[in-house]
Amino acid sequence: MVIANEFDYRRPATLAEATELLADHSRSVRILAGGTDLVAWLRDDAIAPDLVVDIKDVPGLHNLRLDGDALHIGALVTFTDLIESAVVKEHAPLLAEMSETVASQGIRNRATMVGNICSAVPSCDAGPVLLAYDTTVHVTGPDGDRAIDFNDWFVELRQTARTDDEVVTHLTVAVRPHGGVYVKLMRYGGEDLAQAAVGIIAYPEHEYRVAFGAVAPTPIRSARIEDALRGRPLDDALIAEVVAMVRDEISPITDMRASAEYRVRMTEVMLRRGLVAATERLAGTGPAYGTRLI
Amino acid sequence: MNLKIKVNGEDWELDVAPADVLLDVLRERIGTKSPKIGCERGDCGSCTIIMDGRTVRCCLVLAVEAGGHEITTVEGISYDGISELQTLFLENNSFQCGFCAPGIVLSATELLENNPSPTRHDVQEALAGNLCRCTGYEPIIDAVLAAGEGGSE
Amino acid sequence: MTADYPFEAKPESGDLKTVGKPVVRIDGLDKVSGAAEFVDDIDFGPGLLYAAIAESPHAYARIVSIDTSKAEAAKGVVRVATGKDFPYKFGMYMEDRYIFAQDYVRFVGEQVAGVVARSHREAVQAVKLIEVEYEILTPLLDPKSAVADGAELIHPDLDEYTHVPWFFPQTDTNIAHLRKVRKGDTDMAFAEADYVLEDTYHVPRYAHCAIEPHVTVSKFNHADRLTVWTASQSPHTQRHLFAEALAPLGLTHKDVRVITPYVGGGFGGKAGVSMEILGAAMATLVKGRPVKLRWTREQEFYNTYQRQGVVAELKVGVKNDGEITAVEHKLYWDAGAYVEYGANVVNAAGLSATGPYRVPNITNDSLCIYTNLPPGGPYRGFGYSEFHFGLESHMDRIAEAIGMDPVEFRRKNAIVEGDELAYGASMNPSGMIEAIDKTAAAINWGVAEESDNPNTVMGKGLALFWKAPAMPPNASSASFLKFNEDGSINITVSGMELGQGYLTVMAQIASEVLSVPVDKIRVETPDTDRNPYEWQTVASHVTWSSGLAVEKAAIEARGKIFDVIHQVYGYEDDSLYLEDEAVRCKTDPEFSKPLRDFVIDGIQTEDGTWRGGPIIASGKFMPEFTNANSDPETGQGGHPNVHYTVGATGVVLEIDKETGRIWVRKAALAVDAGRAINPDLVNGQITGGLVQGLATVLYEDMRFDEGGKMMNPTFTDYKIPTAFDIPDEIIPIIVEVPQPDGPFGARGVGEHTMIAAAPVIANAVYDALGVRIKSMPITQEKVAMAIIERTEN
Repeated sequence: MVIANEFDYRRPATLAEATELLADHSRSVRILAGGTDLVAWLRDDAIAPDLVVDIKDVPGLHNLRLDGDALHIGALVTFTDLIESAVVKEHAPLLAEMSETVASQGIRNRATMVGNICSAVPSCDAGPVLLAYDTTVHVTGPDGDRAIDFNDWFVELRQTARTDDEVVTHLTVAVRPHGGVYVKLMRYGGEDLAQAAVGIIAYPEHEYRVAFGAVAPTPIRSARIEDALRGRPLDDALIAEVVAMVRDEISPITDMRASAEYRVRMTEVMLRRGLVAATERLAGTGPAYGTRLI
Repeated sequence: MNLKIKVNGEDWELDVAPADVLLDVLRERIGTKSPKIGCERGDCGSCTIIMDGRTVRCCLVLAVEAGGHEITTVEGISYDGISELQTLFLENNSFQCGFCAPGIVLSATELLENNPSPTRHDVQEALAGNLCRCTGYEPIIDAVLAAGEGGSE
Repeated sequence: MTADYPFEAKPESGDLKTVGKPVVRIDGLDKVSGAAEFVDDIDFGPGLLYAAIAESPHAYARIVSIDTSKAEAAKGVVRVATGKDFPYKFGMYMEDRYIFAQDYVRFVGEQVAGVVARSHREAVQAVKLIEVEYEILTPLLDPKSAVADGAELIHPDLDEYTHVPWFFPQTDTNIAHLRKVRKGDTDMAFAEADYVLEDTYHVPRYAHCAIEPHVTVSKFNHADRLTVWTASQSPHTQRHLFAEALAPLGLTHKDVRVITPYVGGGFGGKAGVSMEILGAAMATLVKGRPVKLRWTREQEFYNTYQRQGVVAELKVGVKNDGEITAVEHKLYWDAGAYVEYGANVVNAAGLSATGPYRVPNITNDSLCIYTNLPPGGPYRGFGYSEFHFGLESHMDRIAEAIGMDPVEFRRKNAIVEGDELAYGASMNPSGMIEAIDKTAAAINWGVAEESDNPNTVMGKGLALFWKAPAMPPNASSASFLKFNEDGSINITVSGMELGQGYLTVMAQIASEVLSVPVDKIRVETPDTDRNPYEWQTVASHVTWSSGLAVEKAAIEARGKIFDVIHQVYGYEDDSLYLEDEAVRCKTDPEFSKPLRDFVIDGIQTEDGTWRGGPIIASGKFMPEFTNANSDPETGQGGHPNVHYTVGATGVVLEIDKETGRIWVRKAALAVDAGRAINPDLVNGQITGGLVQGLATVLYEDMRFDEGGKMMNPTFTDYKIPTAFDIPDEIIPIIVEVPQPDGPFGARGVGEHTMIAAAPVIANAVYDALGVRIKSMPITQEKVAMAIIERTEN
């Protein structure tokens, strides 16, 4: 079906021009990057903006590079860019592993990771992984630039810390030696939204980051599980101890994609298998990145 | 709005509304009918086109976004006769109803350009966004593997 | 009995040149090159108008008022239509449906009004301006509550509906049709059985998911001619139903023309008439302008035919030696708001619900029950997939209970040629035993497999299937054939190329008779003005029925060719034969007359005059041995089915014991094609049908909310297989026990390949885990939760 609602379209050539368009509070405005969520929402009448601001001509937003000890990921970097990047493979392989689970090739060629976290749906794949890394979101708006700790990014369902007049320019992801894993529960082997997901990073000295997707209104991190793991060698007893915490740490719902109880049970399985794999990958062993654990 | 795009090597200039989707403009204004309308939300892959060298779901692209870009459809790769890949699809009776075929031909073409010797898993990954309800995929995968340079597991 | 082969003695397979060969599809180049034109690809110029439909948000409501004034005044709107414009009923087997809703809406999505506008966007915008006031009523959403005492009647006027003579509506109930079969004495047989198993199985609704949505363009010109371009499996049936429904406007059959280019998948969903009637009707309000109506993917899910759900109560009795003595099968079908087509699914299933077994005592009740869900209708398998789930699960359970190998149990009871069918006729020749043995061998039956992965276990399953075409007893096919100057041939038929390879198979049959290579034969999709009659492309019957019509036309053409040769050269007809596009003579080895020399212009005789002329021919086929006049209480006395196609399916699974994820490592499917006219295309049906069937059990899961609204009408949440979701290995096995009355011995296989997919998974899951799942689908979630429940309880 056609997009029934009509709107204006602008494709600014500079960041300043873009922020100026966003600053016009008399009109409802939406930012367009890859468009794989936005155009579908327009068609579904889920949104009806007066103005769509396409940022694809804004210079600099395509950058994907190592900047000192952080990975700089521009707002227009697509999932395919992440998968094909040698820098990502070397310094943040978990981003590539996660990206490979997103939709399909034709979508990944267009969809951006920044767009994914801006849509902020509970099943957003980038959420748990970026929570597990040390990530900062860089935005610019009428009051200038702002850096947002990714732990503060998701506010509630489909709501982020970005204000409507701000545009995300890039993310920075701190890089240091780690082993990571993204485990995604899907209804089958092909493309699917996560029924539940776990992002885990193992750092040296028994330090872990554990985040979950699709089991709460937003992607979440579990400080309690991370605290329990900290400084203790991973063994079956410790795994059992933290797996037992899962039920209290997440708050899944029953919907047409899965029941709440199934989500809990599978999150337990994913955490158990994921902790082992992340730890092995830190040690340079374990299954290759991209191998499905469930 | 004014739209200038290149479609299968031809330059086009036309007036479109911002809400017009590229898929509809290609089909109804430019007359390029091989990208099909299947789900209009990026799930089925029947509207797959190649834009600046990569496959894209043109049901999720506003026509105005495509301004200044270069688009290739199956018509564009069949001008001088069908490709080796298309010949293998033909000889292998790979398609049944054929509605998904233009999208699958392009997705497989993109794969082989980036990865001339794909494994079965690579082929499955490249085609996983192109739904086919008729064939069970086997005869399609077989043809793509045959088109690869000695592709194997 | 089956009829004898109607035309001539069949050649031995060794003598065949084209039939039996894996010929490349004649529509293949169109499809790989993007040249294939589907309805939505046809240009209609600047006069084209677009339609959009206002739909009911309620599953059951009375329409209090409809205000279309704002829509009529909207920009670009040419016409708005409601039920008042078309107070006409229509229907395939039972006229229970209106073009637009009249006083009541009976499912979420039912069409209430339509807008025709100059652009698609304007049509969609205007539809939002239509205001409908409803009095909301309580919907009946499952078949058991719809047949409970005191249930409100969804169709109070059921008694007045016109229907085919083999339907038996039950007065003052929601049962639109009850198919009963009674044979022998089941009460006594159960009493005397050594073991009786009784249980209930649940099968939900499913969607066809052809990748091409329904689309139709209709034009009613100023000379009162209605032309409809449509994505359909049934051009002649559509023409017939349009002409009947719109007869009050003065339309007759000759005034209606249906043109069907390539169809992007059917699977039953594009049989009969569903949304197409809306486009045809609205076109009559805007004379001279073509009107396009294309369903969205969402509408494709909730407002076309759906495969009906069923609650199957099954009781089977056996002797200790494994002999089945009695089957009682009660099928409660959730047939939806209108059953004009779906009631025949119910009928077909009721006649055959014993499955492919020899059963002396039978009680089958198949109930077509109105509910406030979308209309049920035909779907590949036509009721058989649904009842096979319970039946073939049950057979494994019985075999286990009496300590018999389930394959041996099936071999012992499998129906074979000459056995008596439920309705009294006798079973046609079949390769069932061969199919069982080859399938079992292909999956290494009897040898347990171990997984290397500590998280997974392996399991094997096997199930049988059968199905007969479900058709009116006089469903017919016809063909025209004409030669061209160069000896090439054009054939016109009205079966549809849905992807199954029909056009290619028709070309192969003509090629075999006339010795003209397939690449010199063009067979195109139908236009009811020019192409001869075909009932519909459903029921897996066109290879058989239309194939016979084409074979007959080819034989007629050959006779005319021989007549010309006889006139000119004096050779007797029975001494002549065709070889490599030329007429040869058994008594004169030197004689050879190429077809291209005379099939249009004839042959010049010694006196300078000419004999012959254009070679044209026709053929038709109607089964003349069938009848549907069976007794309503017993189902005995008729011969409703032409023949059954049988086979077996086997799988080897690996299952993750924690997540329930299932990988089909190997699948084998043997089907008795009688003769595979094109084995490559039969293999295509095996692979495609099997994967479609596996999807119904492993992934697809149609969900409705408590208001009867479908919750997942997108591919985002109704998961059909991707290239990842197929077995690691598929072993197609073609069995060929010829069908005596089939073209070169062929019978249909199109639907059959998905029928046993669901129970074979259920059986293999049980084999792997010891968990018996009795409701479809068997998703990984369901398996995982069943394992958890068993472990913890």
